[in-house]
Parts: sequence; C-alpha cells; structure tokens
Amino acid sequence: MGAEAEYREARSVSGRGAGPDRFEHALRGVAVDTQGHLYLAGDSEVKVFDAEGEMRHRWFTSRPVYAVAVDGEDVWVGEEGQVEVYEVGGTRLDEWRDGERLGLVTAIGFTAAGVLLADARARCIRHYDLEGGWLNDVGERHRKGGFHIPNGVVDFAVDADGVVHVANPGLHRVERYTAAGELLGRFGRFDGRDPEGFPGCCNPTNVALASGGRVVVTEKGGPRVKVYDAEGRLEAVVAAGDAFDPACKNMDVAVDPDDRIVVADPVRLQARLFERVGVAA
Amino acid sequence: MSGMTRRDVLGHAARGTVLAGLGGMCGFLAVKARGTDAWQLDPGKCVNSRLGALGVDVCESCASECVLGLSAVRAVNELSQCGRCYVCPAYYDVTSAVGPDGLPSEKLCPRDAIERYPIGWADPDDPANNYYEYVIDETLCNGCGRCVMACKEPYGLGSIRLEVRHDLCLDCNRCAISTACPEDAYERLPVS
Repeated sequence: MGAEAEYREARSVSGRGAGPDRFEHALRGVAVDTQGHLYLAGDSEVKVFDAEGEMRHRWFTSRPVYAVAVDGEDVWVGEEGQVEVYEVGGTRLDEWRDGERLGLVTAIGFTAAGVLLADARARCIRHYDLEGGWLNDVGERHRKGGFHIPNGVVDFAVDADGVVHVANPGLHRVERYTAAGELLGRFGRFDGRDPEGFPGCCNPTNVALASGGRVVVTEKGGPRVKVYDAEGRLEAVVAAGDAFDPACKNMDVAVDPDDRIVVADPVRLQARLFERVGVAA
Repeated sequence: MSGMTRRDVLGHAARGTVLAGLGGMCGFLAVKARGTDAWQLDPGKCVNSRLGALGVDVCESCASECVLGLSAVRAVNELSQCGRCYVCPAYYDVTSAVGPDGLPSEKLCPRDAIERYPIGWADPDDPANNYYEYVIDETLCNGCGRCVMACKEPYGLGSIRLEVRHDLCLDCNRCAISTACPEDAYERLPVS
C-alpha cells in the first residue's frame, strides 16, 4: 500500500435508549438518500435524520427490520419473509412476499429495471422486475450453493452500471456480478496480519460503494472499516481497534453524497460518520 | 486426507458421535450408580465460551488443574452449529503469518487435536470455495479451551464448548478444577 487516505469520525446520530430518536435493542441497517438524509433501521422501526442530525420522521414496521434502502421517494425495508415499501413520511405503499424466496431480507438494491433482495436464508440475492416478478437469483450457482455467510447476513451494493458487489465473507472476497447472476470478477484474500487482507473466519461482512468505484467494507472479530480502490487495492483503514466495541458484528455501511462513510454501530446503536481528512505519506 | 469423500467424512463423524454418545452414556450410568450429582461445566459462565467475554486471556484451568494426566474436560464441536469455514479460527492461529498456500501458517491447538477435512471434492485451483469439517480428537484434547475462545461469537459461531467426560471424571468430592475455576463455572449439579 502506498499513500494511505486518512479519515476521522465527524459525528454520530442516534444511539441506545428509549427516546424517539434512539433504538432500544438493535440497529441493523443504514441508507442515505441524494440529499444526505440518513435512514436508520432497527428494532421494528425506521428513523429518518436530516443532514444536520435532526430526526425528521419515524415510523413502525410490521416486523423487525434487517435492511433499509432508498429509491427516489420510496423507502424499502427488509424483514423476515417480506419487504415493505413506504413513502418517506412513513405511509406504507406496498409489501412484497414471495413464499420461500424471501426468507430473511438483509440487503436491498436497485437497478434501472429491477430490484435486488438479499435472502440470508437461501444465501443468495433475488432479482425481481419492478412489478415484483421474480427474474433470477444471484449467487445460487456458487459452488457452495450460495454465498458462505457464517455471520448470517448477505450484503451487497449496486453501482451505477448495475453491477452487484457482494460480500462473500467465508471466501474472504468481494465478488462482482451482473444482475442476471454472471460472475464478473472478485478481489480479496485471507490475511490476519496485513490489513489489505480479510481476517478471521469470515470477512468482510458488509459492503458499500463510494465515488470512483471505491469499495467500502466492514469487518467483524476485530471490527474495522476499510476502503479499497476500484482494482481491489487497499486505500485506507478508516477505523479500527478502540473505535469499536469488540462485539460489533455485521456493521451495515453506506456512503453519503459527500463521500462520507456511514457505519451502523450495532453496539452503540448509532450511525457513525467518517470523513476523509487527507492523505498520509 | 484430501482424498476423503463426503461419505467418508460423514461416516467418520457418525462413528465419532456414536462413540462419544456411548462414552457419555457409560459415564452417565456410572454417575447414576454412584449418586445423583456430577461435576458439570456451565458454558454460560465459563470465560472461554461466555458471550461478551472478549479481549480476555483464555482460561486453561480445566487442562492444568484436573488430577488426571489428561483432563476429564474435553472440547466438543457441535457440528450442526459449525460454519465449516475454509479458515477456522479454532483450527488455525489466524494471527500467524500467511503461508504460500494462502492459509495461516500455524495451528491454534497446542496438541494438534483438531483434524480438518474437505467435504466432498475440493477444487485445487480454488480451495477456499469449499466446506471443511473440523473433528476434535478426544484422545488428544486436554480441554485447554483455546479453540473454544477462538470460535466464540463474534470471531466464529460458538460451535465449540468444553464438556466434562463423565466416563473419565473421577468424581472427586473436592474437584481441583472447581476450586481453581475463576468463574465458578464448574459446578456439582444433579443428574436429571
């Protein structure tokens, strides 16, 4: 690794507690819209915060939430057995169920013509058209019968070209697929010492995309946030060590319009924002 | 063992399970014959397996304090809960240098008591893309607990725990492990 970008924690939003802008038990998902509004999904609730960190909306979901994503004015929520679609104010617009295909929805993404829903039970990604018609699965042709997720979560992100970037932690890789399920490429290797590698039994657990094709990942078992360039070379360790409680696991991650990295801390139940401050020699 | 088939592995595991079950049953019957209490280890108290006990040193009292030459406490891998990972943190020292095969160069168990088998055919060009079975050889394990600590959430799935082998335990009135256990996890409890 040559020059390493440096990041600092800019601020945090929400936290553990009983207040209306807080979560009592779990924070599992984070998303950001084009205005920089934060959507936090935890317990059985979605909370929306503006760019200054003020809560603007909150609403309850019909089941505990495991994922959240924003598509224009619509907020999609992943749950056990279904997804729900809300308008930003919390009015429910739709729900999708698809029998056994939607076991536990732990990530949601969009292409120009479809919706991708990660099913952690089947360890693959379900691809639907915009009306909810199933098209194909991504990852089910994997030699292991799906992504290897001892951590219990399938997470992915979709870039502007519709390429699906998936964390495959048991293989210590980030894999790239077309929405039709064709494997395009991958990067990553095991290494418990070199930060360029992915440590432990199964990392990275979560993935997001930043500007310039950069890939942001989070890790567990020594929680860490890292950024790789579009070629899969480590660009920065954003946060590690004492920055997180060692019990942090499956930290969902998103990137806001200013390229700040937003991490859902599952112990503090906070969204934590990290911003780039320079490049170290 | 690279030539083992899934059938071999399953057969091996099944025979091990049956033998362990027979041993446990013999021990159980022996305990029943002697009395109604037995020394048992509470995994929810043991620092090696207790969730949330992170960043602490492994406790090896079960291995070091038992009056037997090889402790009556052994590690057990609950296969139904095992992730069958390519890089198992209980098998490998995942902080050791990476070898030319891309795997950690050192094992974690000081007695090399864990065996690793690929399940089915392992692709030599992509061995990571396979499941692996981890079987603990109870004739070698001394219950040091290192694998238990390494497999604990969030590092692993917590499929390994320490158990008292009642067919080996001498059922001492004043158990040396119990006396030494810093967490009061080693208790004499009724056998129901």
